[in-house]
Amino acid sequence: MKRKVAVTGLGIISPCGNSIDDFSFNLMAGKSGVRRISSAYSSQLSVKIAAEVDFNPLDYFVKKQLSGMDRVSQFALAAASQAWKDSELSLDAKEKERAGVYIGCGMGGGNTIEDLYDQLFKHNADRVRPLTVLMVMNNASASHISIEYGLSGPCLTLSTACASSANAIGEAFRQVRDGYVDVMLAGGAEAFLTYGGFRSWEALRVLAVEDPEDPSKSCKPFSKNRTGLVMGEGAGMVVLEEMERAVRRGAPIYAELIGYGSTSDAGHITRPSLEGQARAMAEALEDAGLLPEDIDYINAHGTATEWNDLSETQAIKKVFGDYACKLPVSSTKSMHGHTMGAAGAIEFIASLLAIKNQAVPPTINLDQPDPQCDLDYVPNIGRTGVTVHSVMSNAFAFGGSNAALIAGKMKG
Amino acid sequence: MPTTFERLRQLFIAHFDYKSEELTATTTLENLGLDSLDIIEFMFDIENEFNIRIPDREFKVTTIQDMVDALDRFISEQDSEQDIGSSSNN
Repeated sequence: MKRKVAVTGLGIISPCGNSIDDFSFNLMAGKSGVRRISSAYSSQLSVKIAAEVDFNPLDYFVKKQLSGMDRVSQFALAAASQAWKDSELSLDAKEKERAGVYIGCGMGGGNTIEDLYDQLFKHNADRVRPLTVLMVMNNASASHISIEYGLSGPCLTLSTACASSANAIGEAFRQVRDGYVDVMLAGGAEAFLTYGGFRSWEALRVLAVEDPEDPSKSCKPFSKNRTGLVMGEGAGMVVLEEMERAVRRGAPIYAELIGYGSTSDAGHITRPSLEGQARAMAEALEDAGLLPEDIDYINAHGTATEWNDLSETQAIKKVFGDYACKLPVSSTKSMHGHTMGAAGAIEFIASLLAIKNQAVPPTINLDQPDPQCDLDYVPNIGRTGVTVHSVMSNAFAFGGSNAALIAGKMKG
Repeated sequence: MPTTFERLRQLFIAHFDYKSEELTATTTLENLGLDSLDIIEFMFDIENEFNIRIPDREFKVTTIQDMVDALDRFISEQDSEQDIGSSSNN
């Protein structure tokens, strides 16, 4: 017998705000977090825009903690602390053994690696910071969270590039549903806005060209004049909890997590496959026991690259048939950029907020429709006064990993 | 020239945000809530401040005074090594 899974806490660090309230408000207001890069090296880059997080670590940590924590772990822990507080959870020692942490992260401690190489190769340092290994390792974020809250069940880091945190939430969902644990802190984090990071993505020729009139309007998903993705950073964390337990303790319940699909294209390392994407969505629907018509909103992967937006549009049509053209689909990446390993979690949270607020966030910067991308992308203005029972959140990745999550409004 | 103790105290304050009055000669690192990993990380800044290299496994200290004594020893040892090195180069 499969158990039900409630979402009882949310936390976020994002280019559109470092609290759920700010994030929710900014998305519905269509406010972009994309801007000119603040770093000193920006003059050396051909692409000078990004979706950076406005984050002062000392608002969250004491100096002693910071000396062993990369920016990515700081984001993860800050988001986790919000989610944990939001859930109002209090676990005893035995319950903590049945609680775990799953984190998605693509690049690990990228800022630390860059500092390390800078010291070694540019400044000929003969030694490096002693905690470098502990800051770079990709499982650092999950471990810090596990230690902070004493959660001694499974603690894993999933790395599937831009689908990482959707996979982390989906796999955590299965852990709770199948009875291995009762509580999971799940989500993801990424902080790869480094000089090397920008250069690497720039070389792939997938980054958006800066909008000549307004840098904040540079990310244009599903638009005919889209030019690519805008790199972002951040973290999103959710508390997943076995439903009966959550109801019994009177927990705040945002939604029920009801479906998860996970596929691999097994094709090309970068070119997306509509088949793989469609199978992830179809699997999630089947897992949730829903029909296509039951979905009221899709938060699309919607990177604003030529290939992704076309492929995702076709995949949605394949799965949803005639209903696809009636279904609101938006890309909030138009506002918070592509937060890479954190994207799945941040966008799952955006989807849950659509249920909470009964309102759908827009795809901004969509002024020139692409005839080949012909769904209802909720252009430019958020939609209020709508009924949102069930939502899907898509995350696709280089490497060919595809994930889809479905959540539903609590009845009653 | 500030004493080794005073320089170390300032380093503690900069690195960990302790208050000056928390840091006396007899204060133990355990009392400050520092574990072995914290000390390893802190040693990096100590090495920079005093321009020395602390040999592996030779920094077994309990109190701040122990650290001061060890540092004075390393400083004098490495000074004399440099003297020998520079005189042999001449």
